[in-house]
Parts: sequence; structure tokens; C-alpha cells
Amino acid sequence: MSTAPATCPFTGAQATPGTAPVPHASTESAVREAPVADWVKIEDLYRDPFPIYQRLRAEAPLHWVPAVNRYMVTSYAACHEIEQDEARFSANERNSLMKRSMGHSMLRKDNPEHQVDRDSYGATLRPGTIKKHWNGIFAQNNEKYLGQLLAKGPGSDFVWDYAAPYTAENLRLICGFHNATQQDMQRWSQTMIDGTGNYADDPEVWAKAEASSAEVDAAIDEMLPYLAKNPDHSLLSNLATMPIPLEAIRANLKMTIGGGLNEPRDVLATTVWALLENPEQLQAVRQDPALLPKAFEESVRWVAPIGMYPRETTQELVLEGISLPAGARLGVVLGAANRDPLVFEDPETFNIFREKKPHLAFGGGVHFCAGTWIARAQVAQVALPAVFEKLPNLRLDPATASIDAGWVFRGMTKMRVLWDA
Amino acid sequence: MPTITFEQPNGTATDVEVAEGGNIMRAAVTNGIAGIVGECGGQAMCATCHVYVNPEDAAGLPELSEDEDEMLDCTTAERTANSRLGCQVSLGGALQSIRVAVPSEQV
Repeated sequence: MSTAPATCPFTGAQATPGTAPVPHASTESAVREAPVADWVKIEDLYRDPFPIYQRLRAEAPLHWVPAVNRYMVTSYAACHEIEQDEARFSANERNSLMKRSMGHSMLRKDNPEHQVDRDSYGATLRPGTIKKHWNGIFAQNNEKYLGQLLAKGPGSDFVWDYAAPYTAENLRLICGFHNATQQDMQRWSQTMIDGTGNYADDPEVWAKAEASSAEVDAAIDEMLPYLAKNPDHSLLSNLATMPIPLEAIRANLKMTIGGGLNEPRDVLATTVWALLENPEQLQAVRQDPALLPKAFEESVRWVAPIGMYPRETTQELVLEGISLPAGARLGVVLGAANRDPLVFEDPETFNIFREKKPHLAFGGGVHFCAGTWIARAQVAQVALPAVFEKLPNLRLDPATASIDAGWVFRGMTKMRVLWDA
Repeated sequence: MPTITFEQPNGTATDVEVAEGGNIMRAAVTNGIAGIVGECGGQAMCATCHVYVNPEDAAGLPELSEDEDEMLDCTTAERTANSRLGCQVSLGGALQSIRVAVPSEQV
């Protein structure tokens, strides 16, 4: 086995011996119960979770948070440990709102069941298919929807007049919904996501989620026989020829509609917003568009579009010195892990020139985001260069404040922009 | 047991023993080898377990799959003829030892 001195797997750094404080208790008695954070309120998280995460992380790697009815895990090391160990931390959560809203998708399955579903997506989302097939389609869609923004003129909303329809249309074609519109995709996505987050058990939210779920089922039923005869590069086309239960196809497509639209939309808008708020970095990417992929990665680190996802302990265990019972419901708070000062220097600052380190925004382990390369392609390779090229002197509209909001999902909800028309 | 030697860009080398069938990425992550990330847990989806295999050890390697081939185009450090994804190379059988160089950049 290795005899090398301990080295941080993320930074390559080796600690200076003798700098650690002498522990005042034995390892065994140092194990403690999770502290309770009863001061955390959902509405504060929704407005701006980051000061809350700072306070939580400084206090302990995880807390019991009554308002969320879960343990919230906020340190990088603890989040990383969870996502690399599905034996102790199951994705197959009991009483899952996501299962109720979208069905039992691969995102809430453990292996080996998860891998069967994951493999059924085939090559559609892989870099080779993106290069050969999707990049050209993304470029066409971008020309259309950026054109619509240009036609609407300065004062338009960057999210709702461009980022949302552009990413929705891309996802429509990736899925293979030739019988739906990008507006359908946006409605399905939002209403089913609202169901997944319906902790208040609002019957109206459930009614809308169920209506969308039924529409998606009908759309899939119509497309599968068509795509079996007229195959293309879409997910549904691939699934049409596979021996996979219809129930799994439906749940996985709903998860993909929920996870493949808002996230690229939000990272596109957040990246542009962050650059417009940081003139020196804006100047740098204007002069060298090859920096845009760096801006994308820094943006997903700084504001992870999916800020928290659930896991459940399969056994009694100790995580980063804190004991947890079997069946404990955890929230893996990527939004907090990605700003852990033990890993990232000056973590609250958006800085495209920071030292590169692996962030957790795409998750890790077997549930590593299947759409990672699709997101990088449609946002960093296609959209961002065109945005700064086609919208000269792009800037935020000083007359209307932009709004960033959310914590489980976070992005721009309002972003009026001006440019030199 | 099969042995993997990881050579860092600064020249230091570390030997790691693995069980039959163990892959290079998992061995590196388990033993805290710097410069191997393995974000996707071994699905050939992230290109963060890129290594350069010592050419003398290349004969015993499994063939490049299409998935690994296209993912190697996405590595941060330069791809060469010796580039492989650590998660796609398992030790065991005829392949009892291998020496790999860890690239200077992985993300």
C-alpha cells in the first residue's frame, strides 16, 4: 500500500507536519451529535442561502435543520464522502416527493438498478454525439432565439426572452418530443419541479404537476412508435428499441425534463450576470472568448444551479465526526460545499482566474450529471460566445434591479439587459 | 497482488497494490494519489482520471472503447498516444504491474 505522506486529493497540497492542534479528547469520544440549526428559515434560504451556509459550515459539517426536516450537509469533505459511497448513502429515499411528482427515475435508484436505466440513455448525451450532431442543432437554435431577443430589443429579459426558450428547445430535441413545443417543455419542467419541492403539500401544486405528468406520458406514448420507425439521435429514439419498462422510460424522461432545462438556463444567465457585474473579467472574456469555458465552470461552482439533493443513510454511521442514525434524511448542499474555504480560496468571490479545483456542481459518483457535456456545449461553446458577439456593450438595465433567488434550485428570476442596438 | 506505480509531474513515484480486477482510478482515489479526481465514479463520463501509461506496459492494456476514445478528447492536459482513462484500465490476469504518469492538470 502507499507509503507517501498524506496529500490532499483535490489540491495536491501536503500539510506541514506539526501544525495540527493537539486533540483534547480521544477519537471515539470526539464523535458528537449533529447540532440543531433552528434559526435557519426557508424564506431566508430562498432569498440568499450563502451567509447561512457560511455560518453553518463554520459551526459543523452538518446540522439538523428543523425547517427543512433534514440534516443539511454543508462541508465539501462530507458532501464528497456521501456522493462517493452509495452503499452507506442511498439515493432511493423513502417518501420522496420527486418519486411522487415524476415517478421513480434513475436519480432515486441505487446500483445495480440505476445502471440499467443510465445505460438505456445510450450515446445521446456523450461528447462524440454532441460534436457530430448536437452542436450544429444548438447553433441553429441559438441563432433563432438570440435573434428573437435582438428583435425584441434592449430592455428585454435575458432569462425569459432568451435563455429559457433556447435551452427548452435544445432539450425538446434531445428528448425527441417532436409532438411538443418549447413552451410545453418549460411548463412541464416547472410544474413537475414545483411538485418535487412541494413540502407544504399544496393541492394546487400537485394538480399542476399531475396534469403535466399525464401530458408527458401521452407525448411519450405517441413518440415511441414513431421513433421506432423513424430513428434519430434523441433519447426517446434510443429507448424505443430497448427492452426497458415504460414506467422507467416515463420517470427518467420526466427527471430529464426537470433536470435538463432550468439548469442550463440558470447557468447561462448567472454566468452572464456575474460577468456583467465584474467589469475586469468581462473585459478579459471579450478579448479572449477562449476564457468562456472557465467562466462557465466558475459560475457553476459559485452558484450551483442545483444547490441541494437528498440522500438517506442505510445504517448508523459517523460522518466527519458526527453520528447519524440509520434512515437519516440528508440534504447534500452542493451550493455550500462549492464555497468551502477549506478547498476554495476566497470562495464567496466570482473569479474566473482562480486556481482550478474540482467543484461538486455536477455531483459525483454514479449519479454524476448525465447532461454535463450537453450543458457545457450548449452554454459555454455555443451560447456565451454568441451573446457577447451579437449584443455589443451588453449591460444590466440600471432602471430594473436583477433578482437572483432560490436555494434547492438557484438562478436569475429577473434580468433586464441593454445593449447598443 | 497487482501493483500500480503513479509518477507525479515532479518525478516522485508511489506504488499502490490493488486487488485482482481493481482499476487505476479507484486505486488512486482510495489511496489519496494527488492529481486523480474520478468525478463520475468510473463511468467514462468526466475525463478526470486521465493518465499516461508507460509505453512498455501498453501491450497488456484493454482496447480503447468508443466511449473512452471520445472522452479522452475532453481531457484538460494534452492527449497523447499513451493517454488512458484510469477507470477503464483494470489490473489482473496478465497485467500484474503498470507504471502511469499523472498529468499536471486534471480539471
